[in-house]
Amino acid sequence: MSLKIPYSQTARKLRGTFGVGSGPSGRIKRLRMCVTGLIRHERIESTFARCDETRGYAERLINIASRHGDKDKYAMEVADYWLLEKDLIHKLFKVIVPRYENHRSSYTKLYMLPKELPGYGKDMGVLELKDNPWPQVVPKQRETKYFLTNMLVDELRKEHHRTKRSPFVNKILETSADNIDIDSIQNQYILDNLVDNDEGKTKNDQSHENKND
Amino acid sequence: MNIIQKHICRCLIQKCNSGNVPLSFVPARQATVLNWLLDKHRKSQLSQQPEKEDDIEQETIMVPRDYKYLYPEFLPPANYRHRDRIREKLERQDMFCRRTMIEVPEFYVGSILAVNVADTYAPSKNTRFVGLCISRENDGLRTNFILRNHIDGNGIEIKYDMYSPLLQSIEVLKLEKRLDDELFYLRDCPPEYSTIQFDMEPIHLPTGSAVPLNTIKVPLGPRPWDKKWDIKNFKGLQPSNRVLGKRAAIRLERSAKPWEEHDLMKQYRENINDEDVETVLKEVVLKTKKKSTKSQRRQ
Repeated sequence: MSLKIPYSQTARKLRGTFGVGSGPSGRIKRLRMCVTGLIRHERIESTFARCDETRGYAERLINIASRHGDKDKYAMEVADYWLLEKDLIHKLFKVIVPRYENHRSSYTKLYMLPKELPGYGKDMGVLELKDNPWPQVVPKQRETKYFLTNMLVDELRKEHHRTKRSPFVNKILETSADNIDIDSIQNQYILDNLVDNDEGKTKNDQSHENKND
Repeated sequence: MNIIQKHICRCLIQKCNSGNVPLSFVPARQATVLNWLLDKHRKSQLSQQPEKEDDIEQETIMVPRDYKYLYPEFLPPANYRHRDRIREKLERQDMFCRRTMIEVPEFYVGSILAVNVADTYAPSKNTRFVGLCISRENDGLRTNFILRNHIDGNGIEIKYDMYSPLLQSIEVLKLEKRLDDELFYLRDCPPEYSTIQFDMEPIHLPTGSAVPLNTIKVPLGPRPWDKKWDIKNFKGLQPSNRVLGKRAAIRLERSAKPWEEHDLMKQYRENINDEDVETVLKEVVLKTKKKSTKSQRRQ
């Protein structure tokens, strides 16, 4: 199964942490801790880079678990390696896999947090599993389209455009959808264009006639 | 006049959708065509050349599991930066065209082949070479394979482009697999392991049998070698007697990467995902069905 998230072709280098180590081996150790935290708490906060890296691994882990099931040897090996706390293996196969049974999109969601100054000095992020019990990270916004000030500004903009347009166009735009007659508009359009052509035609015809004579 | 035409269209759409709606002028968007909109237009009955849907057919097709190893050259590259779906499709069409002219048999790394190539300078206008297949590389029209043989005290390797028009025939003299995906280490092995006689007769397998796996373990010759073969964990090589020094042993320890065994994203980046494989192989199944079933030795 393919991943439903954007991922880079090259892996990101992460900074080492004290007690865990650095380099590619320390990176994987750190990511294992992050994945276990994500499965345990369903929402974690860390640097954006680390969150983005853990996202791919968490998605792959859930993908493999849902594809192969809990009776497969390979799936259990992977779950045993990536989940440091062993009681979470039950949670992965019994809770999280059934939750995303009919999901077509990704299993996780990633947010970027605003920078705090003075603070850690890095882009911070929030990574969470979808359909978790926590309150939403971003609250629902109100619809501002029908606010009185917005409607007034909208009308003002329309009026400004109306003055700039030609009167012929305005006349058509003012008519409502029920009263619109395409035939009349078309005839008018054709008549307007024909005026030039007729003059040209008559001139040509006259010249031809003269030649024939 | 363009504005009016757009406006009339919008009015008509509004009329159709929700009856009496007061008009409001909507400014035109930028001229971009969305992918889903194009697809919708292609499949609609109103378009002059509607696209035929083969989805119903394709859903019923079951791809056999071994097709991934039978037709590896049809599979696209794993790196998404190197992918171009239109180019891949056109290349596949060309490959099928070439396959109608020349029969490309089933073979793997480790099987013995005989190849006929057109040659203007040869008196018989073609040359024949027999050898052991060492590697199969690349995809699409650029697929190639290397044959190795040992003739008159010299190791000879020739790389052939599989879909080159110069190829006249490819024969499989002995069909088998080896333990490794590449056999480049035969360059530094004793010559008896890569010598094949040119008048070798083809060995036919009984129908319906699986491809045999040759579990031979080859010893390495004396040093110097082309590469450090003993460090690289080949399954088809005997363990060498080379005694490592102190520094070399440390270097070997450091070169071990046990964490890459479960690096899920690394595996995903280096291999093609199953969905892409299926979409490509369904096309192959449709094409191969139409051909005669003589070449399909197994199910």
